[in-house]
Amino acid sequence: MMQIYRVAIREYIENVKTKGFWIGIFVFPVLVWMMIEIPKFLEERGIPTRHVVIVDRSDEDLGEIVRERITLLNRKKILVELQTHLAKSTQKQRDEMMEEQKIDAAELLDKLEEGLAQLDNAEVEINPFSPDQLVKMGDLIPEEVILNDSQWNFLKTSVLKQLPEDAPEFENPVARFAEVPLPEGLTTANSDSEIEAQLKAHLRGEQSLASSSGEMVDLFALVIIPPNALEPKNKIRFWSSNLADTDLLDTVLSALSSEAREREYQRRGIESSVVSEIASMRVRSNNFDPNKGVGDEKVGIRDKIRQYAPIGFVYMLWVAIFSIAQMLLNNTIEEKSNRIIEVLLSSVTTNELLLGKVLGVAAVGMTMQLAWIGSLIGILKLKAGPAATWIPDLIAAVVTPELLFGFVIYFLGGYLFYAFLFAGIGSICNTIKEAQNFMSPLMLLMMVPLGTMTFIPSEPNGAIATTLSWIPPWTPFIMMNRMAANPPAFEIYGTGILLFVSVLVVFWASSRIFRIGVLRTGQPPKLMELIGWMKSSN
Amino acid sequence: MTTPVEFTNVSKLYGDFKAVSDVSFSVPEGTVCGFLGPNGAGKTTCIRMMLDILKPTSGSISILGAANALDVRSRIGYLPEEKGLYKKMTAAAVIAYFAMLKGVPSKPARSKAHELLERYGLGSFQNHKCEALSKGMGQKVQVLASIAHDPDLVILDEPFSGLDPVNQGVMEEVIRDIRERGKTVLFSTHVMAHAERICERIVIISAGSLVFNGSVEEAKSLLPRRIRFRGTGDTELLSRLPEVTDSGPSSDGREGVIELRLDEGADPQHLLKTAFEKGIGLEIFEVVDPNLHEVFVHLVGEEAREAAFR
Repeated sequence: MMQIYRVAIREYIENVKTKGFWIGIFVFPVLVWMMIEIPKFLEERGIPTRHVVIVDRSDEDLGEIVRERITLLNRKKILVELQTHLAKSTQKQRDEMMEEQKIDAAELLDKLEEGLAQLDNAEVEINPFSPDQLVKMGDLIPEEVILNDSQWNFLKTSVLKQLPEDAPEFENPVARFAEVPLPEGLTTANSDSEIEAQLKAHLRGEQSLASSSGEMVDLFALVIIPPNALEPKNKIRFWSSNLADTDLLDTVLSALSSEAREREYQRRGIESSVVSEIASMRVRSNNFDPNKGVGDEKVGIRDKIRQYAPIGFVYMLWVAIFSIAQMLLNNTIEEKSNRIIEVLLSSVTTNELLLGKVLGVAAVGMTMQLAWIGSLIGILKLKAGPAATWIPDLIAAVVTPELLFGFVIYFLGGYLFYAFLFAGIGSICNTIKEAQNFMSPLMLLMMVPLGTMTFIPSEPNGAIATTLSWIPPWTPFIMMNRMAANPPAFEIYGTGILLFVSVLVVFWASSRIFRIGVLRTGQPPKLMELIGWMKSSN
Repeated sequence: MTTPVEFTNVSKLYGDFKAVSDVSFSVPEGTVCGFLGPNGAGKTTCIRMMLDILKPTSGSISILGAANALDVRSRIGYLPEEKGLYKKMTAAAVIAYFAMLKGVPSKPARSKAHELLERYGLGSFQNHKCEALSKGMGQKVQVLASIAHDPDLVILDEPFSGLDPVNQGVMEEVIRDIRERGKTVLFSTHVMAHAERICERIVIISAGSLVFNGSVEEAKSLLPRRIRFRGTGDTELLSRLPEVTDSGPSSDGREGVIELRLDEGADPQHLLKTAFEKGIGLEIFEVVDPNLHEVFVHLVGEEAREAAFR
């Protein structure tokens, strides 16, 4: 025992001392931080206001309809910002309230879901991953209110009034779209081709254009609405050098399309409010799961989130195995090529050495993962406010003790299985290059469960999932993925026992191969030789 | 009193190849025993079997009274033929680690590492990483690592290879120090000069078989003595004496010195007397004992040469 411990301690200390270990620890939070910050940064500053020239040749004020839609979208963006601002400024008060009333975050989610179902607002979606804006304010407030200038101002001031006194002042976000007038010397009286020819340089970004406030801006697009634009044969002329960002085009088209539908309803004598009322009709369902306890069968939002939990664990196992594989290979090969192994084997048994190495490296892997999880929680807390108990609450509500127990067991089994395998491979190779040859098929083996991740949740107890569960190298991944869907008990125990039996077999075989392999130099052995080694007494 | 190392009819086969065949010998306690043999004779295989790293195909090995070296591993120190250290660990840490694996608690292990490095002139290198040490220093560190737990039996596989003459001297000193503490040392080498200087007993194996097992004196008595002389008069007369088997110029290259090989059991005094009687004037007259090198070449020379050309 003492020997195993000492081998493990050395293995741990020497690995922790490497630069690679610390790079691994620090790169992860930096990456997560960048993954959170860069899209936000791009959204806030990266996409500037898109300036557009609208030439309306229709006699039916279609340009106005487009302008109205642009205003609506700009104001909705302001609402989202307002909501975020409000959430940030009132964080402390809300935390105190949650504290006092002991509100369960997951329960709150369920209630919100029920409330929205009754509201029958089909467009509203709950976003469980954005704690400050479970529902966007802009989705709840009717469009007429947002578009009506006086009502809009009233809405805005009343939201701003709710801000605590010490809150920082609210700044309007950059507008999504803004219309600019035609440049001097051009009027709507000019022909399409004249306007287009004149504006090409602006659209290419070679010249800037004066906005209505006199500022010089880049022109993003030119929209020419032809006469009778709502008839199918007449097409909008849309000019822009940016083909990737279709937001503006989509906005224009959807505004005009709904206008076209509206007019068609009127022409056929159908009340448009009736149509939208009918269109918003939804048949809703209550989902039940027979596997759940009596009286609690209803499937709620937490059950949906629970589907994601195994994926997290599967990735964690995968990353854990990946991060230790290299370490185990490297230092087994180091000991072998430096011939240290012979001294070691005169002091400890092969089994002690193998166990010590695997445990020591496992501890390194665990340290790394705990550091990652720690930094992840740290970043989330920093982002969601210091007292946000929301995320751990949610995880606690989603991951039941049985589920967690299953994960721990499969994690251990899977980890040990691959760790012994890698140590065995390390012992028969003299260089990392030789080891790579053995690694490629193993990596392919490990890719299989990743490929199945998408379909297993939809058919968790199907034939493929069941078959794959009984193949030991894949058992941990597949079973973790299936755990949320309550697989039959005999499969849980059966695959679990099979997994641990195969761990023992791999350990036994690796220790045999290890014992002979570490003393051998030259070419790696052939498969038949390996089998011979396992049979030989030494 | 147990015999530290005892081989009884030990054989080791790799497939059809007989690496070691029917070897029996023992090493008495408190002696320095040289384990000699040409390249590929099976020395390393024997040593690995002693340590239970390899298992013999047949025969039995007793080490410090135990059938399995792992049962007495804390009392054995081992330096393998091919030397290596953890590159990233410091000299002191490596020595302490190997001592700890042999059961020494961590604090005494560290102070012992410090003490040994000081004693053998590596005190200023103890916090250097092993990759920064020269080959000779690294080898010294490794020898110290193998004796840091004060073992009763020290097995060294080619401890002198790769060392310069000064460090070879240090290595001999290390071995003598161990013997002075009453411990047993077994080391393999093919450099006879070392064996001759520090061994009390030698075991010679060749092509997997035992060729000789006994004291250094016994080994030397296997070859007849030689006379080297330079004189005036009828020196040819001495070469023609019946106990002289061979004569020629001296192998040490001195001018005019003649070397005579004597029959087994011949008395050099008889030659001296004859010279005196026949009036041969002697400037030089030396009785030369055979050295271990000659004994070795005599015992395994043919086989070793054959093996080399095979």
